[in-house]
Amino acid sequence: MRIAVEEKVLNENQRLALELRRRFQNHGVFCLNLISAPGSGKTSLLERTLEAMAPDARVAVLTGDIQTENDARRLAGAGFPVKQITTGGTCHLDAKMITKALADWDLSKIDVLFIENVGNLVCPASYDLGEDAKVVLLSVTEGEDKPLKYPGIFLKSELCVINKTDLLPYVQFDLAVARENARKVHPGIEFVEISCTARNGLEEWLAWVYRRQQKAIGAPTL
Amino acid sequence: MHELGIAESILERVQYESAQRNGVRITKVGVRVGELSGVDPGALAFGFEALVKDTPFESLVLEIDLRKRVQRCATCAREYESSLLFSACPDCGSQDTRCIAGDELDIAFIELEDPPCE
Repeated sequence: MRIAVEEKVLNENQRLALELRRRFQNHGVFCLNLISAPGSGKTSLLERTLEAMAPDARVAVLTGDIQTENDARRLAGAGFPVKQITTGGTCHLDAKMITKALADWDLSKIDVLFIENVGNLVCPASYDLGEDAKVVLLSVTEGEDKPLKYPGIFLKSELCVINKTDLLPYVQFDLAVARENARKVHPGIEFVEISCTARNGLEEWLAWVYRRQQKAIGAPTL
Repeated sequence: MHELGIAESILERVQYESAQRNGVRITKVGVRVGELSGVDPGALAFGFEALVKDTPFESLVLEIDLRKRVQRCATCAREYESSLLFSACPDCGSQDTRCIAGDELDIAFIELEDPPCE
């Protein structure tokens, strides 16, 4: 006898993610989920982002890794709340880990929450963390065909940040082809080109974050 | 490689459904996996097999229904199966289309063992 179940496999994650999204909305928290391969520059981008914030900015970071507290140490220097989530082998963050990590944080004191996912272009795409938007990072040393090889995450991300553009003279990476490949998967995806090392393009990134935040909290766009 | 965790979630659901029905034996579980779900069907089947081995669920069959990406054209409302990579609307050529299916990761059904004949 066949019985219909018709539920998402990750039903429990989805339930917790919706709960997180509701909490974020209630407290006016704008949340971004940063996803990339290991070494594309998620932590560097966050370092530059935190540096650029006013000292009284209400910004916080959750950073995920399989092991080590290295990223949290790197990011804590800016003086904003930072918490490391070590997954102990799991290749992605899930909504339960986020819920647990936020347990002793007062969300009413946070305006922008960055979640740095575990370095991985595959699995994090499957797990909703209650974020307002996913952002995928691609560095020019990885090759411009990544969007074609890992379409899921490029489809689900609103913004593609292309990092390490200072290395463009030394690597075979065609920016136009990379953009075209990402658009083949997701025609509406937006782009920002940056170099965390040379500190290029960061204003554009911060402007995107600000615009997206305004949209999320329903402010009239300028 | 999160397929083992996905397989675990599926098995947990099966155990729950069985417990809800006085421990009736479940013979098959059907899942829908979209090509954009980020789940590799081969790895999922492999993980599932490893998980049920030497357990009371060893004979449980996992049926995977692979789903293609489906786009809906915003201009002419045509719905069409697209490749993994986006393609424009085959009718009107519009690029303004939305992905409406292909990222499924659902448990569709379970099959229970037939009750013994009276």
